[in-house]
Amino acid sequence: MLRSILQRLIMLIPVLIGITLLGFLLLQVVPGDPVERAMGTRASAEEMAAMRHQWGLDQPIWQQYLLFLRDCVTGSFGTSLFHKLPVSTLVLERLPFTLGIVVYSTLLALVVALPFAILAALKRGGAIDLAIRQLFVFVIALPPFWLSFVLILWLSLSLGLFPTGGIGEGLLQNMHRLFLPSLVVGLSTAALIQQSLRATLIETMSADYVDTARAKGLSRVQVFTRHILRNSLISTISIVGVRIGWIIGSTVVVEKIFSVPGLGSLLIDAIVSRDFPVIRGLTVIFAMLVVVVNLLTDIAYSIADPRASLD
Amino acid sequence: MNGPFRSLLVTGCMMLTAGMAQAETLRVAMGVDPVSLDPIATSDNASIWTQLLIYDTLIRPSKDGKELEPGLAESWEVSEDGLTLTFKLRDAQFSDGTPVTAGDVQFSLERAASEKSGWAGFFRPITGYEIINDREIALKLDKPFTPALNNLAMFSGAILPRKLVEEQGDDFFSDPVGSGPYALAKWTRGSKIELEANPHYWQEGKPYIENAELDIVTEGSARTIKLEAGDVDAIIDPPLNQIEALKAKDGIAVGTAVPYRSDFVQLNTTKAPFDDEKVRRALNMAVDKNALIQGVLYGAGKVAASAMPPMAYADLDLAPYAYDLDAARALLDEAGLGDGFEAELLVNSGMAAHRNVAVALQAMMQPLGIKLSIQMVESGTHWETTKAGNYEMSVSYATSDTIDPDQLIGFLAVNPERANAYHTEWKSERLNTLYQEERVTGNGEKRGAMFREMVQILHNGAPYIFLYHPASAWATRDNVEGFEILPTSNFRLEDVKFTD
Repeated sequence: MLRSILQRLIMLIPVLIGITLLGFLLLQVVPGDPVERAMGTRASAEEMAAMRHQWGLDQPIWQQYLLFLRDCVTGSFGTSLFHKLPVSTLVLERLPFTLGIVVYSTLLALVVALPFAILAALKRGGAIDLAIRQLFVFVIALPPFWLSFVLILWLSLSLGLFPTGGIGEGLLQNMHRLFLPSLVVGLSTAALIQQSLRATLIETMSADYVDTARAKGLSRVQVFTRHILRNSLISTISIVGVRIGWIIGSTVVVEKIFSVPGLGSLLIDAIVSRDFPVIRGLTVIFAMLVVVVNLLTDIAYSIADPRASLD
Repeated sequence: MNGPFRSLLVTGCMMLTAGMAQAETLRVAMGVDPVSLDPIATSDNASIWTQLLIYDTLIRPSKDGKELEPGLAESWEVSEDGLTLTFKLRDAQFSDGTPVTAGDVQFSLERAASEKSGWAGFFRPITGYEIINDREIALKLDKPFTPALNNLAMFSGAILPRKLVEEQGDDFFSDPVGSGPYALAKWTRGSKIELEANPHYWQEGKPYIENAELDIVTEGSARTIKLEAGDVDAIIDPPLNQIEALKAKDGIAVGTAVPYRSDFVQLNTTKAPFDDEKVRRALNMAVDKNALIQGVLYGAGKVAASAMPPMAYADLDLAPYAYDLDAARALLDEAGLGDGFEAELLVNSGMAAHRNVAVALQAMMQPLGIKLSIQMVESGTHWETTKAGNYEMSVSYATSDTIDPDQLIGFLAVNPERANAYHTEWKSERLNTLYQEERVTGNGEKRGAMFREMVQILHNGAPYIFLYHPASAWATRDNVEGFEILPTSNFRLEDVKFTD
């Protein structure tokens, strides 16, 4: 398996080069340049040309691309035009919060979805199943920004259970502070997991090998946990894996509402000010995250289901 | 509990409470995130506001924004010929205890005029420095340039400690040292800036509050909620539609100021029918600006008479174009456009207020037979499109970085200049002449009269539909005294007190 993981990692190299090329070229096509954005209303053409030179934007495009590649390889991903700091520094300061929300929300989604999926599968077709389904359809339809404010008004302002936003120090404080934003992101994923897990559970329950297990004389609980649940969870792994890109994207909204200094706000500010190195760097880093998560999903998949090998 | 232990405990508690009373913290929530604390590399509000708490300038705008007052310089003198500006520094120290010297002043201003600076044009007119002694410095100009003095009051003219900046380079600005009321204690990028009082600050007894914290809360409604919850003591820019509700709340005070900003519609005067002054004036009469202010700004703004904000030398008697559809129709008739026309209106999609303005304008123009089609574009595209002249009408705005109207009039009304009258390509020879004269005329009544004439010409020529000057709002808990947003749009924290 190690060898196949290594193979997959090597296959990532052309993918990443493609991403850097695309991220770089797209920015060349987008109207607006950083010097105009920063100084357009006040500076003369000569001053702006001087700044363009300072920032290396007057170099030939291929040279700028090679410099960008060099910065990607050295791990700095370039230097922000406005923050005057390596993109890697800016990202590392904020990555823990974004990753925190991604992981936390996925865990919350599983905690919420699992019991309801099992309950719905066991009581399939009945009133409980229907009620659960309606509930999750409702949840998936809630706009995240609206849900965020409702939760803040209710749980933070009225009941005082959670802070209104911001971050704290250390893991425990942040688990408390990031609970609401993670819940908002997690709930719609929970709905997705519940729906698909319920369907897979029902399908698995009627599989032949489950009957065999029962016939062997295993208890109902043993049959359910060892045979039905374990096999059904494989589908959940792939859903979470596919969903991760969406989750990273949706953290942008909750980061803004809950004042979490994550990558989302960094990206938005960089786009508005045309801080090219930051936009490019983040594009590559986000892409790497998705690629790595997909790889991890495949690995987890092959562990959960020996039939699906990595090769 | 035995005696000594008990008294120890009581003393301990008293010390604890005493300590807490001293370490008061003023928490201010703002919606924008500082990019850098290097005053020559930034132009975003959050960076500027923070820099002005940490650094001092030689002179600074007074609180009403109408004149200059002493900053690090306790006095200054402009020579008769306008070529020498002499500053006498007060006995001030940086927050690390080292004195502020004339050498620091020369270093900082030369740095602001260097290639590295985004503000070089503002400081290049200063061509020579003469350090008279540690506390006195003369700045020399080749030719008279009146805005040069006013530009020194800008954040980008902040005085930095030469030695530290030279030693540390760009790293200095991650842990800067200045002579302002507060010093940076900790900067958690994207989240908050923690400040502590500068123990060496030159204003005796200030700042009143030991610690200050700038919390970055980008979502407007979240700022309001934090203020209501008591998580912060003051907020900047609560959403305008929540101001009335905030005013009604117990324990919360709301204030507004009109900073140097003006919102308008650029008219491309190289394209028909906007090349006709009659049409441009008719458009100005066709807009019900009061309704715009009520509908878009929830009442928080002033009707604009021109594209120049109400700042130094402003003519407060200049009346805005009155809302008069009949007069507008008559002017359009004269221009041969009695049946109206079709035009495209460009809007920056990122600005909610401007999107609403565009929709309102569309409705307001309809009675005149003018059909506007709205084109929404992202802000960078908006700038590039208007700059290239590929537009007919465009909702936009301008702000002033200095208290001197020279910067804005040059940007908005002079052609040829940096932006050719902000991409309207409108031109007035008389105004161009006045602009050249104003720059070499010393501050005073004569210069004021020139500005008033220029603004009058701009008003008459109407290369823009003049809309409004939007207000900036803030809100505080009741126990906060002295917090306000100044016309320069920043805030001074050294004057803020808790009252309970």
